[in-house]
Amino acid sequence: MNASLLGPELVIVGLGLALLLLDLMVPPERRRWLGCVAAATVFALCTYFIAQSGRTGEVQTAFGGMYVLDGLAVYFKALFLLAGGVVLLLAVDWTDHAGHAVTEYFVLILFALAGMMLCASAHDFATLYVSLELVTVTFYVLTSYQRDHVASLEAGVKYLILGALSSAFLVYGIALCYGAAGTMSFTELASQSPALAGSKLFQLGMLLVLGGLAFKVALFPFQVWAPDVYEGSPAPTTAFLAVGSKAAGLVLMVRLFGSVLPDLTLKWEPLLMVISGVSILYGSLCAIPQRSLKRLMGYSSIANGGLLMMGLAAASKAGSAAILFYLAGYLFTVVCAFVVASVVVQRLGTDDLTALAGLHRRSPMLAASLTLSMVSLAGVPPLAGFFGKFVLIRALVEQGASFPGWYVLIAVALAGVVISFSYYFRVIKAIYWSGETAEAPPLVLSPLVQAALVLCLAGMLALGILPSFVWEAAVAAVAGLRL
Amino acid sequence: MTGMHIGLEHYLFVSAALFCLGLLGVVLRRNLLVLYMGLELMLNASNLALVAFSRFLNHLNGQVMVFFIITVAAAEVAVGLALIVALYRKRQTAHVEDLASLKL
Repeated sequence: MNASLLGPELVIVGLGLALLLLDLMVPPERRRWLGCVAAATVFALCTYFIAQSGRTGEVQTAFGGMYVLDGLAVYFKALFLLAGGVVLLLAVDWTDHAGHAVTEYFVLILFALAGMMLCASAHDFATLYVSLELVTVTFYVLTSYQRDHVASLEAGVKYLILGALSSAFLVYGIALCYGAAGTMSFTELASQSPALAGSKLFQLGMLLVLGGLAFKVALFPFQVWAPDVYEGSPAPTTAFLAVGSKAAGLVLMVRLFGSVLPDLTLKWEPLLMVISGVSILYGSLCAIPQRSLKRLMGYSSIANGGLLMMGLAAASKAGSAAILFYLAGYLFTVVCAFVVASVVVQRLGTDDLTALAGLHRRSPMLAASLTLSMVSLAGVPPLAGFFGKFVLIRALVEQGASFPGWYVLIAVALAGVVISFSYYFRVIKAIYWSGETAEAPPLVLSPLVQAALVLCLAGMLALGILPSFVWEAAVAAVAGLRL
Repeated sequence: MTGMHIGLEHYLFVSAALFCLGLLGVVLRRNLLVLYMGLELMLNASNLALVAFSRFLNHLNGQVMVFFIITVAAAEVAVGLALIVALYRKRQTAHVEDLASLKL
């Protein structure tokens, strides 16, 4: 029993509660500082975890093994905190323009962040369920935060119905797994792993659990919500949904399939490959005709979920390390795109691609950031996205010798990448080459937005040019997996 | 007396039937509130399965899990109903077909 391991999560939850109280005393025009304080605290905790990630050898547990702090958990907590910090910066800017600073919005982001951090450490079906629901229920409110916008409410209701449906699948799956294994503890499940991989009841249960987690990652066949919710929600929420919520689902998948049930993973390789391939093709093909930047990012998110799933389907440590690395690059890239989307929606009232025309004259920094982010998502060297796709595909090639099906999946992934060039470059074309535009006033960026953009650009370039630091951290983080 | 013994499989059968009924409700019904009732039915089907397993495995973990599920479901319903009410005030509708402003 070592409850002090929960310190960082308690700091985040305590910070959220303190901000709610302070909100009563701080005058409305100063409330934006509460958001800045929250962002500063989150960044401080993030540097603590990055410093921690060096010493990944030891595995510490708390609450009878229900909570674990190992290399995987530390890596993902640093990732969640980084995403949370940048999203909080963006949220302060967003609430400035929404009229008045709203502390609840910052607090909800902090609670979702705490849920994600608990997901990274969940080592029992009970902790898995409660921490995942903390993320989901908070996001119901975050997606529908603009109560006077029909689009936001509609996004919230769609997320609510499909989210509740997926958690019903998750819970029924947990019940069946419990019935088959007689335990909910991942430690005990891991010791029965070979026997459980043969049990029909357990497999059915895990299939439902996989469905519940696939919803979070926006994977086929639980991907229908992504475009609508991405388009309708406020941009900071969408950024956090795209990065944090997706990573929360993935850390649980990596833990369940990599560390707890390696035998089942090997048995389910074809299933994981199909999910991955269909997600890539569905996301890429449906993104082509999109006119809205946020909706396009929703389909791109499905395709990227499929790419990430390839790493899990590879059932190797190299594949899992590739997932971790890809997520780090994806974080900077996607948050950068949504910072731009947030500013564009605020100032121009729409995120239609035609509204981006002449953006390079109105704000060179926004145009350059969005361009680099699209180029990185498309996978052009030397940006983060290129190396991420490279390590994922390399992990599959290493497996290729054993089963020719891998080459089919590699071909599908490459086809997805080629298709994705068309829609990512359409965004760039909309900025620079969309014909004559009327003289429009320049867009002045707030210091917070500039800071967020600089951080994202630095991360994108650093991960592309000097990937070794993060790649080594990712390899060390998955050293404890049993694949 | 040839009284029928109620075994684990009977509970599981009822639970699976409830789950499928709830799922059918979610898929077929068009009113958001009725749809939400279907979701609750699915959650309670899982609760029934957990309690039955817990009883027949002689192991309390399943029953503890049910408490967590009931608590989380209560929070989910509170947020969900608030959202549906907010949508109704804005659009004067609680039907799925009317949720179509976010389409290509």
